[in-house]
Amino acid sequence: MNPAALFLRLAPMGSGISLFCGVLGVAFAGIFKKINSGLIRALGLLSLALAAAFVFAQPANGSISALLQADPMTKAWCGVFYAGALPFLIAGTWEDEVPALLLLGSLLGMTLLAFSANLLMLFISLELLSLPVYLLVALTPAKGRPKGLSFGCPSWEAAIKYFFAGSVSAAFFLLGLACHYSATGGFAFAGNGSFLDQTAFTLMAVAALFKIGAAPWHFWLPDVYEAAEPMLSGFLSTSVKAAGVFMLMRLGQYSQASFISLLPAIGALTMIVAALAALNQTRLQRLLAYSSLGHAGVLVLGVGAWLLLGASEKNALPIFFYLFSYVFMSNGAFFFLELTGVSEWRDLRGLGKTRPVLAFCFAALALSLAGIPPTAGFLAKFLVFWQVFKAGLYVPLIAASLATLAALVYYLRIIREMYLEEGVATSKIEAGTGMVRLIVTLSAAYSAVVGFLPWILSAFQRVLG
Amino acid sequence: MILTLFWAFPIVGALFTLFSPAFNLRARWISLICAAMELYLVLEAGTGFWGGHLASLSEPGKILTYGISYSFSMDGLSWLLCLLNAFLTLIALLSSWKQDLSAGFWASFLFLEGAVMGVFLAQDLFFFYIFWEAMLIPMFFIIGLWGSENRVHAAIKFFLFTFFGSLFLLLGILALVVFHHQTTGAWSWDMNILRAPESGLYAILTFAAFVVGFGVKIPLVPIHTWLPDAHTEAPAAGSIILAGVLLKVGVYGFLRVLLPAFPNWGMKALPWLGGLAAINVIYGALSAMAQMDLKRLIAYSSIAHLGFCVLGIASRTAQGLAGGSLQLINHGLTTGALFLMVGFLYERTHKRGLADFGDLVSQAPLLTFFFGVTVFASIGLPGLNGFVGEFMSLSGMAKVSLPIAVVGVFGVTIAAFYLLPAFQAVFLGERKPASVSSRVFDLDFREQALLWLLIVPMIAIGLHPGPLLNIVGPAVGKLIL
Repeated sequence: MNPAALFLRLAPMGSGISLFCGVLGVAFAGIFKKINSGLIRALGLLSLALAAAFVFAQPANGSISALLQADPMTKAWCGVFYAGALPFLIAGTWEDEVPALLLLGSLLGMTLLAFSANLLMLFISLELLSLPVYLLVALTPAKGRPKGLSFGCPSWEAAIKYFFAGSVSAAFFLLGLACHYSATGGFAFAGNGSFLDQTAFTLMAVAALFKIGAAPWHFWLPDVYEAAEPMLSGFLSTSVKAAGVFMLMRLGQYSQASFISLLPAIGALTMIVAALAALNQTRLQRLLAYSSLGHAGVLVLGVGAWLLLGASEKNALPIFFYLFSYVFMSNGAFFFLELTGVSEWRDLRGLGKTRPVLAFCFAALALSLAGIPPTAGFLAKFLVFWQVFKAGLYVPLIAASLATLAALVYYLRIIREMYLEEGVATSKIEAGTGMVRLIVTLSAAYSAVVGFLPWILSAFQRVLG
Repeated sequence: MILTLFWAFPIVGALFTLFSPAFNLRARWISLICAAMELYLVLEAGTGFWGGHLASLSEPGKILTYGISYSFSMDGLSWLLCLLNAFLTLIALLSSWKQDLSAGFWASFLFLEGAVMGVFLAQDLFFFYIFWEAMLIPMFFIIGLWGSENRVHAAIKFFLFTFFGSLFLLLGILALVVFHHQTTGAWSWDMNILRAPESGLYAILTFAAFVVGFGVKIPLVPIHTWLPDAHTEAPAAGSIILAGVLLKVGVYGFLRVLLPAFPNWGMKALPWLGGLAAINVIYGALSAMAQMDLKRLIAYSSIAHLGFCVLGIASRTAQGLAGGSLQLINHGLTTGALFLMVGFLYERTHKRGLADFGDLVSQAPLLTFFFGVTVFASIGLPGLNGFVGEFMSLSGMAKVSLPIAVVGVFGVTIAAFYLLPAFQAVFLGERKPASVSSRVFDLDFREQALLWLLIVPMIAIGLHPGPLLNIVGPAVGKLIL
């Protein structure tokens, strides 16, 4: 086979191969003791850029091989995965090759997830994306916390918790897969509608909901997001969550199983749990973890509505746009914590006066997370709610609206502490590195500006065909 | 293009104002120049409405996506409300002229002005909602940053209450849009063509969602509790805008979204809307009687006065609709003036209780004169503007439902019972032992000029309301049953 033909054969897998080469490159750099932050960042960016280029050059026309396929959702979600990981990759301090390697490995898993053409591939890629993430949580604890793999470290504890939750979800998935196999005799996405098969899909959907962190499978989420470095939490709450959402959508899309009718209720329940639990939080990173839980609820609700409306790729726009905007909002908010080192409410006090630009950025992000017009968060939430309305899910929608209102209380508190309260924080605000600052600023700009430009939606629609 | 300029110009001006200190410019001057230019723009664009040469001014809509279209239009009613908005913003800025305030204060008012302009002009419900919500953020900061002692509580309460209402508004809008899609197969957000179903639970819930959504802003009685707090704690300029402009958007929503969406619901909706309005009139008036704080008193009187507006438009008669709409303008002028004067008192003494003053007429005769005229206008004395609006609203209502009209008439009477004693206690009565009246000096030139600007239209409308009625009449004409 000549090289050109070989390239064409391999091109559909180009994105996976690029990321794999990135993993290898970082590993070799580690072996030859050539570690520096810049090199790792360059290798990571290069493989990510190549992967993105391959994904977008890929025609979205269905089957590639027995295990892989590509459709518009594949491309859209790969975009979300890469965008969610990009801030962490360019702003992280890579003193050691292992975390970078894990990050790229996890992205490789996500890429395969988006491309997978049957349930077995879906499971393998799910594990490939999850295992590195557990280790990442253990290896990159929040600032000022003990580091290392030993009991007693909060990050280690969180990683173990995450790992067990993940293992249970994997067990659910495998059990479902086994049921599916015995019901249909294969691993294809399509189900045959029998009771056993319905059960199979329900079990697999539970695994996806575990991954997303929907209530009542959310107990691991706040601990993990709080123990990890804020930048990593940004990655967890965007790319990894998007992977869970993608799984849920794929499972429902082909099977039309009965679990779909439960999703709106689960989504609304998640939003309510998140809003009420967040009211009492004093530590900001934990608060943002609960905020992320609330957004998971919106997404599950949106997926439920999407599935009820026939699960066409065109209609996936609200969820896609929501995830894409959430990449900015969540990463921006977590990076703000990284940048300033604030950890509690009182650290925010008076920030509006002492650091007006930073405070403005965080205020814009908070309002966007809350979904107040005219921010990007509003536009995203609005599209999802509209789809939920179209699907006729009035009761979950009203519950979700009230949960949004309850959540507004703590988002407003951010603004209140920064602008309205007397006094100035005594703790020192750290300056942070330029890259982190840039990411916070860009995310805030996206959040503040995109709400004014509803016509960019047509660009998103074009990705989905 | 001109209509886009209406809302975009103040917002761009707000950004300029916000960043002007960085270039060593005086924020208050920038904001004043922007507000004055905006007022000129609005006046200039709407000259055709005088004498009825122009029925409406619209921009061709541009469909963006999902049927959301960027379309704006202005008819007589919108123009008058835009004019009120631009005028009161200018007054509000000038009312705080002597205070030492940061650039954010001046910028907030301009931002708010732009958002309100958007609400009055948008024809597309998506943009209507965006502008509707955009009003929240600047007002939140105006109350929370520059208000009096209990400002943070009031600001949060204001935000949460209004957001609660907005969620219902959003549900109502979605209900209309989805119903339109089900019946025609097309997506549209145009408030001129969206209709609710004729009957059924879906229709009732949609109606209720809009009543709650708009009712929070008006405010209708069970959901009004944010208003007294917000008014009391807001700075004087904030109260002027809050009462003068922001309360109007709720009634405007009734006129532009709710009533057109339910074209045949006149009689069905009358007991509800009219009843709520009558409760507002009586409840607001009775609550005002019990207040010992001037700002709270005026806040409750606003609730009563907005009740008259809803009363008028709920009747769906020619007089009622025109009177209710005119009353929007009247209330903006009188209540704006009242808050302005209480602001002057507060600036001088940092007090605003009824018991803190007495015998101000000997200290400040000019202030007494202006306050007196405004109080009489607010009560509805014939010859002043309040009378015209209230009389037309009530006579419209009397045509369709005498009991509700009679209740409303009682409201007019009670107004005299709370405004006159307050006027008497503060300006005419004995000087109380704890009074701070001696610290009050009379109005300076700027303050007099501002008050003349407000009082001349009050008298003019009272004596010759014809031109204004000719402008609002055709604009609300299609709602007559």
